[in-house]
Amino acid sequence: MAASLTRFLERSQRTTHAALSSVRLFSNSNQQQPQPEVEDDEEFRVLNLRPVKQQFQRRRDIKRDDVTPPRTTRMAVDQDWTAAWPGPRSFHPASVPLPLRQGFTERGAAAPSKFANAELMKIPNFLHLTPPAIRQQCEAIKKFCTPWPKGLETNAKWRTHFPLEVITTDYCQSLPTVRNPEARRVTVSLKLSDLKFDDHARDKFLRLVGERYNKETDVLTFVTDRCPLRKQNYDYALYLLTACYHESFITEPWEATKSEADMEVYLFERNQAKRSTEAILNWNAAENAQKKSPSASYAQSVEQLINEGENEYNLAKYKEEVMKMLNVPTQ
Amino acid sequence: MLQVLKTLRWAQPVRALSSVTTSSAATNVTTTASVPEPDKLFSKLEIELRGVDPAVLKSYTWFATTAADHLGIEKGKCWSPRKADHERMTLLKSVHIYKKHRVQYEVRTHFRYMNFHKLTGSTLDTFLEYIERNLPEGVALQVSKTELQQMPEHLRQPPEQV
Repeated sequence: MAASLTRFLERSQRTTHAALSSVRLFSNSNQQQPQPEVEDDEEFRVLNLRPVKQQFQRRRDIKRDDVTPPRTTRMAVDQDWTAAWPGPRSFHPASVPLPLRQGFTERGAAAPSKFANAELMKIPNFLHLTPPAIRQQCEAIKKFCTPWPKGLETNAKWRTHFPLEVITTDYCQSLPTVRNPEARRVTVSLKLSDLKFDDHARDKFLRLVGERYNKETDVLTFVTDRCPLRKQNYDYALYLLTACYHESFITEPWEATKSEADMEVYLFERNQAKRSTEAILNWNAAENAQKKSPSASYAQSVEQLINEGENEYNLAKYKEEVMKMLNVPTQ
Repeated sequence: MLQVLKTLRWAQPVRALSSVTTSSAATNVTTTASVPEPDKLFSKLEIELRGVDPAVLKSYTWFATTAADHLGIEKGKCWSPRKADHERMTLLKSVHIYKKHRVQYEVRTHFRYMNFHKLTGSTLDTFLEYIERNLPEGVALQVSKTELQQMPEHLRQPPEQV
């Protein structure tokens, strides 16, 4: 027991010695800069996983002006509304003295009132275009208007003096551009009876214009949209009309070679029927005697029979004409 | 006929403002008699309105016809088709698959038409300017004007030499 005790003492002595020597090892550095000491009294920061309710902070009161009562309460009953709402503006509940309600609610409940009602602000209103406002503005701009001239009251009357109709189109839209490509289109129309033709020119003109002529209404229509501007298109339409009109009066040399197979309609004058009829009428006639020619009504009946086809009326007419021409007594 | 046309041209109304402006210009520069520009004649003015909200179109039509009444313009037929124009887009509800399940989006466009007859050029300009300035948001306007013109001089008689 005593031996073990002494051994323990020796060991402890040795450890204290080593500690002393280790201190001495760092002594010179320690003397120059004193080691910063950790303050023992500061606490660790606490991680607030479940924050405890802090002391209630009083919110600062924001000073607001008193809400002014709506302007409608101060409006006179007989006020000038056009001055109160002079131009287009989105709906404002305090300025409109109307008990408006708008919007969807559950069944049975009244629609929301006009205050703080977005439904009323979404739709464009016409509060600046009330009937008195329209009357006022129209009276102001009426001095720029002129009456329709007398003597041109009906369609037939103005058509005799102004046979040409020009249709143009304008667009007013809310696109990023104010231009609409359709606005360049120009339609010029007139009745064909307003132009003067001879037979050949009329036939040639109708061939030149083709689809632009409506046979039922006798209306000729030029629609032009190939140029970028309306003025150019209008000029081009008139140019087309003029060119076709003048071209139709030109007779080309090859037009004389039109044979009977090229004819569109049967003409009595240039056919075998005329020659045969003349031969029959002048049968056994003297050489010097005047040649008889078939009557115009007979020619017309033959043309009708071939152009319109054989029907009861045309055949009866033809029979009658033939009998009249050959002096066959009827019953 | 020519005589009638000539007299008619003078009987035709002149533009409302042109005479005023030209006469003032004439007093400033020279004292030559200014020839007033003859007014144009429009037999028909057709207005097509298109918009999303039929109520707005209706109010606008009422406004335009009332203004025409005040200005003394002859009204023609004002009408609208009973149903709106539906432009539909049908898409797959899912991105790639489930072809039987679709969604439809549609844009409805309501139309309204107004006709006015027998306007002179200055009346037409005034009226159009007024109603176009008061066009509400979201409404588009299309104006077809039928102008009456005399037959051009070179088309009245057949060409003598061709």
